[in-house]
Amino acid sequence: MALAQQVQLQREPGARNDIVRRVAGSPALQLVGRRLLTAIPVLLGVTFLTFVVMNLIPGNPAQLILGINASPGAIAKLDAQLGLNHPFWDRYWLWLDGLLHGNLGIAYSNQQSVNSDIAQFLPTTCWLLLYTLVVSLLLGIVVAVLAARRPNGIFDRISLAVSMLGLSVAPYALALVLIYVFSVRLGWFPTISNSLGDNPLTAIRALTLPAASIGFPLFAVYTRLLRADIVEQMQREDYIVTAKAKGVPPWRVLVVHATKNSLFTLITLVALNLGTLIGAVAIIEPIFSLPGIGAELINAININDLPLVEGIVVVFALVTVAGNLLADLMYTVLDPRIRYGRAAS
Amino acid sequence: MPVRFRLMSMRTACLAGAAALVLTAAAACSSGGGSASSKPSVQTSNSSIKAPPAKAGGSLTVLEGKGYNGDWPLGLDPATNTTGAADQDYYNAVYGQLFELGDNGKLIDDLATGYQYSNGNRTVTIDLRPGVKFTDGSPLTADVVKWNWTRDLESSCTCAAEWTVARTNPKVTTSAPAASVIKVVNPTTIQVNLAVPDGAFINQMFDTIPNWIASENSFNKMGEKAFAQLPVGAGPFTMISDSYSNQIVMKKNPTYWQAPQGLPYLDNLTFKSVSGDEAAYEAMLSGEGQVYTDMSTPQLLTESAQHFDVLNQLGTSPYDLQLNTAVAPFNNPKAREAIYAMTNFAPILQNIFKNAYPVVQGFTGPGGICYSPTVPGYQGYNATLAKQLVQASGLDKVTIDLGTISSSPVASETTQALAQEWSAFGVKTTLHSYGLDALIQAFTANAGKSWQAMIQTAGAYDPAGGVGVGFRFNSTSPFSGVHDPKLDSILSQAAASSSLSVRCPLYNQAAEYIAKNYYGPFYFSFAPANVSVKGVAGPGLTTPLPAVSVTPAILWEDVYYNPSGS
Amino acid sequence: MAAQLPDMTAATLTAGGQPPLPSLVSARALRWQKVSRALRLWVPAALLIALLFLCFVWPYIYSIPPGDSGSILDAALPPFSPGHWLGTDPNGVDIFSMLVYGGQVSFEISLAVTAFGMIVGGTIGLTAGYFGGWADSILSRVVDVLIAFPALVLVLAVAEVLQPSETHLIWALSVFSVPAFARVTRGATLTVRNLPFITASRLTGTSNWKIIFKHVLPNVIPGIVTFSLLGIGIIVILEGAVDFLGLGIQIPQPSWGAMIAKGQNVLTAEPQYVLIPSIVLLIFVMSLNLLGDALRERWGVR
Repeated sequence: MALAQQVQLQREPGARNDIVRRVAGSPALQLVGRRLLTAIPVLLGVTFLTFVVMNLIPGNPAQLILGINASPGAIAKLDAQLGLNHPFWDRYWLWLDGLLHGNLGIAYSNQQSVNSDIAQFLPTTCWLLLYTLVVSLLLGIVVAVLAARRPNGIFDRISLAVSMLGLSVAPYALALVLIYVFSVRLGWFPTISNSLGDNPLTAIRALTLPAASIGFPLFAVYTRLLRADIVEQMQREDYIVTAKAKGVPPWRVLVVHATKNSLFTLITLVALNLGTLIGAVAIIEPIFSLPGIGAELINAININDLPLVEGIVVVFALVTVAGNLLADLMYTVLDPRIRYGRAAS
Repeated sequence: MPVRFRLMSMRTACLAGAAALVLTAAAACSSGGGSASSKPSVQTSNSSIKAPPAKAGGSLTVLEGKGYNGDWPLGLDPATNTTGAADQDYYNAVYGQLFELGDNGKLIDDLATGYQYSNGNRTVTIDLRPGVKFTDGSPLTADVVKWNWTRDLESSCTCAAEWTVARTNPKVTTSAPAASVIKVVNPTTIQVNLAVPDGAFINQMFDTIPNWIASENSFNKMGEKAFAQLPVGAGPFTMISDSYSNQIVMKKNPTYWQAPQGLPYLDNLTFKSVSGDEAAYEAMLSGEGQVYTDMSTPQLLTESAQHFDVLNQLGTSPYDLQLNTAVAPFNNPKAREAIYAMTNFAPILQNIFKNAYPVVQGFTGPGGICYSPTVPGYQGYNATLAKQLVQASGLDKVTIDLGTISSSPVASETTQALAQEWSAFGVKTTLHSYGLDALIQAFTANAGKSWQAMIQTAGAYDPAGGVGVGFRFNSTSPFSGVHDPKLDSILSQAAASSSLSVRCPLYNQAAEYIAKNYYGPFYFSFAPANVSVKGVAGPGLTTPLPAVSVTPAILWEDVYYNPSGS
Repeated sequence: MAAQLPDMTAATLTAGGQPPLPSLVSARALRWQKVSRALRLWVPAALLIALLFLCFVWPYIYSIPPGDSGSILDAALPPFSPGHWLGTDPNGVDIFSMLVYGGQVSFEISLAVTAFGMIVGGTIGLTAGYFGGWADSILSRVVDVLIAFPALVLVLAVAEVLQPSETHLIWALSVFSVPAFARVTRGATLTVRNLPFITASRLTGTSNWKIIFKHVLPNVIPGIVTFSLLGIGIIVILEGAVDFLGLGIQIPQPSWGAMIAKGQNVLTAEPQYVLIPSIVLLIFVMSLNLLGDALRERWGVR
């Protein structure tokens, strides 16, 4: 809201209510609210899709859990216990109901709650993703800024070549090559990491190669995006030209102005990529024997542990939807053009 | 590929594809402290590795492969852990065993001190070691053993004890045993009364849950779930931490019954689960582990031999190509004979397994009792005969379904090689590589009529125990393709006696019968190798042990690590 | 897996920046720029054509050993052995043949998936972007659901449920290419739709179909085509991942992902089993990306 209007409002009695109404009616919040609402059907759709797919899997889970020698009586008992004898929709509503209360059910394979299973494995994956994101972002920003300084210069060309490599490599192939070179031949990093260890150093050593496998393609995307955005800004945007005309040193122009605005695009992209990132984790973690949620997902799929798979997928989907939501929010709320533009219209 | 286990014996059966450098046979026909009489011939020398002098103290990290022994999703309570004997390393470390199988098949008394058969091998009396206490201080008495065995018999998991005993409800196989079955004679003597004679009872104890005794006291205090995570036993080590299917940390048990003798040597024992042979090899190269059990990839064994000690175990479980006689095409004996004649195991053994194992024609291996490599009347590779038989049986008009377990790369390579050989005779094959769950389903779907041919292992240290011959050839087993009462009767007679001079001829007879009816060709008797860094020593690491069913059980109390003495 | 791209990033992957103003650049530099631009287009294109030739034409004009069977007597031959210039695997299957036939499968799957995505996803995106309103809301929500789903998970679950096979893989992967194309098309359509000349056409009463086919599509297609080149690369990598986990193409049919997975078991002993298919995969995807970049530059796609 324009400053003048705000000041005016504050002087009037009952101004507070007005302000509340204004804020509540503000386009930004409305947008937020709307986006949050639309996230719900998406989440529902995702959970439903998972449930449908997993329930198509043949074989009786109770039989699998109890094994071959189980008597039909024992199987029937476990069936009832697990609720497997109910029709499809009942089971889905039951599960959904549990979900809304934060309870993801009991895993078939080890009879433990899915919540506790996920809680056990989530930290490792979180550290891995954090490490990956932070390093690939930082490196991406640094390289992109340096490259954008002199478009088509030597550094720029090298960075483009390296990022092209990153875009084209398969993470699983890269992981194996990295293991071969850095763990086996050079011994700089451990090959297995059953736990992250008790101090940050062991954790970093354990997570570096997996983070590099996932992070290299990411770094490539970020670098390219940011660099292209900065270069474009430097050459097109009026305010840059103005700054240069005013005599602002080129370095300052680059870092402070252009980068700041391009970062915004980058962050949006990061948020959007969260979902794919998590998918990549499912392939990389088993290669390194990392006890993370991706490895657990693959395990759960292989043993047809329906509640566990659903639980993990829901967590994945939650994160992805949250990422999309965040990106949307940032785009609409933070973009100054839109924020002020809407209020004025 | 990670694979889960539900079926203890299934899993041990399905561990395929072991390679060792040169397998030297050292079988043992064990005779226990009881009524066994003569010892049939013992095989040739074993290949021990020179060990450094013993050293007390130190830590050891043992790597276990996922998809088999590296998984324990339900914890380590023997009566509820469906992964069963695959987790023998952890069980042996924390619970110890009543009886242990040692070098050359010698029976070692650990928590029990002896046994007697009586009543026509229908009653077995076992003496327990006096004065043994669990790590929680409670004593290991016959009452506790009875509590354990009752749970074992009532267990609904496939790991359950398979004793044939009277039940309170004869119709329900997991109902409580009748009151007369397990008798506490005195605090250190316990007796089992079986419904049928079983001369192999003690041999069948190895690698089955009655051999591992849990503390009733702690179980009641902690509750089932907590106990499964941090079990309490009377073994050489106690549990410190347990992250399921990932890592177990144990430390020396100061009240272990052999503590006065300085055992166990090690202060700390850690188990880590790794994704496979390659991951383990890399980890050992970079010093992250000192022992890896059950390595089977031939190329890696050759590599490992250059840096580490590779110990070839004594094979007891030959590969078998099971044929399902309940359905076409293998309900036709000519079709089965065609398989025998079409299959040439020599190039497979040479090229995939690097000639590491002796070819066998029966279900016994050099590490087990009653070893007999050749079987009279066994139909070997014969191209001309094969062509005739294929024509006569119409095998070239159908497509054969051939499956194996996916956790072993060499098993899969073997099925490919077989398909190639058979295609030379015009026979088409579809290959399947199953995870353990899918394998169970494949066997049991449609009342056992869905599968045609499977490559599995058959045979054990004692054919009557573990994944022995009954598992694959008995008409009541869901994993058998054979339903022949005559074979059933030979096998049960062989199990009834406790005298090897009676049993071994019966097993030879069974092998001949199988060959005569072409129930399934055998390849060779393999056993996975254990790899350890130089300086590690112990039974199963530097001295070979016979495998009870596929994998030998390392005796952790005797293991030490002396890096400087190597 | 390379990032899933939202609508806006297609343009931002342009390889070179804009060239500086002509007056500041010498004639020779200008000529070099022209040549390098042509090279950047034709070298990857040639590589792709060569790969396609190798996979689809070569085996039929010059006989190579089969890719799914071999003689056990030729097991594990090293590279440069007679008759097997890249060596054989432990079953005696020729590695070069496995690459060729595996490549056929990879090409087929990725092309099928991308084509499906382009057609179905493109239609959805065009409809949503052009007609807006309700259709847009509903279609966008559906697309959101599919995009929110972690790709790999659904593909694995589908492979588990239906027996893993080429056709099922194509269906499962298409579930992801469709929303991606829908998003890109929608974004591009939105950009074009609000241009003055489109509005003018609508005001003068030109039918929607005509507008779409004559004006919207031609402006939207370059972006879609360049995105699809990137998409093929992503699909190949994703499909390789599924094969890597053993839930895609089944043995004995060869596939690059399965070759890498198998080689994993002997990485230290025989690294070539991993390196060879990895390098081929890299070359394939890189050529696609380079070509996509060059075309984007050529067509000025934003």
